[in-house]
Amino acid sequence: MALASKKSVRPLPTQEIEEFDKLYRDHVDLMYRYAHRLCGEPEAAKDLVQETFLNAYRGLKSFRGDARFSTWLYTIASRACMRMRHKRKGEPERELSLDEFVPTSEGEIRLQVPMEGLSPEEALQNKELRQALERAIDALPKKYRMVLVLRDMEGISAKEVATIMGLNERAVKSRLHRARLFVRRELSARGVTGQNDYRTGGAR
Amino acid sequence: MAKKKVAAKKHSASSAHRHEPGQCLDLLRQLSAYIDDELPAEICREIRQHVGTCPKCEIFIVSLRQTVVLCRHRPVPSLKSSDRSALRRAILNRAEA
Repeated sequence: MALASKKSVRPLPTQEIEEFDKLYRDHVDLMYRYAHRLCGEPEAAKDLVQETFLNAYRGLKSFRGDARFSTWLYTIASRACMRMRHKRKGEPERELSLDEFVPTSEGEIRLQVPMEGLSPEEALQNKELRQALERAIDALPKKYRMVLVLRDMEGISAKEVATIMGLNERAVKSRLHRARLFVRRELSARGVTGQNDYRTGGAR
Repeated sequence: MAKKKVAAKKHSASSAHRHEPGQCLDLLRQLSAYIDDELPAEICREIRQHVGTCPKCEIFIVSLRQTVVLCRHRPVPSLKSSDRSALRRAILNRAEA
């Protein structure tokens, strides 16, 4: 027993810790933001950050420097997220077909996002709209959510997202488009309509 | 092909314009690329002409654009410094094990 525990602890070389600390210090906030946007809540985001940097620590020596550190970390985090979500929910991956977003009724065509005359920050002060946005993003199948987060929230180019996710740019753009159409429809289907007065609705 | 269909819709677009499944698929397929300014100028012009005759399509594009804007401004909390240190410790402990 004592032997086993002795064997399992490996003191980390100081140089490795120093290298790790620099990577961690420079990128932990970026990775937490990404993880939170993917997971939608802090505890799962922290788990994902931990998993990401542990894998990064273990792979630090093999990092060849042919990509930016941030691209490398996004790649590790995205793969870890795929594994974690599978483990947690066992959710099947659903494909989003473009056909399902073709509006078929007058009401659906006229669905509007209620932010007329407001800045996005002002519109998102409204709790109902904010929650509807969170739910819509959370309801996205994860491979679509990941592309939406990377492109529209992290602001990463389609080319870089393709590298991170191991896809071609065309597939990235196709997933992004379906993800946006899904969120648009969900925002409206949740009853967040332009009929409510969002100026007086306010955040509570 | 898509260009032709958009152009065809432009000519038929009027009060009779209906969004039945399949009819607007080509336009719908290109909307994100349109919003992201990734389409050739000529196709953009055709789409603009089409939506100019079809308020429903215009509303659709506006709402999709607003969706993207909301996503870009989605608030995200930052990591507390105590969590930052605790996470670092946890990672290094696991790396050591």
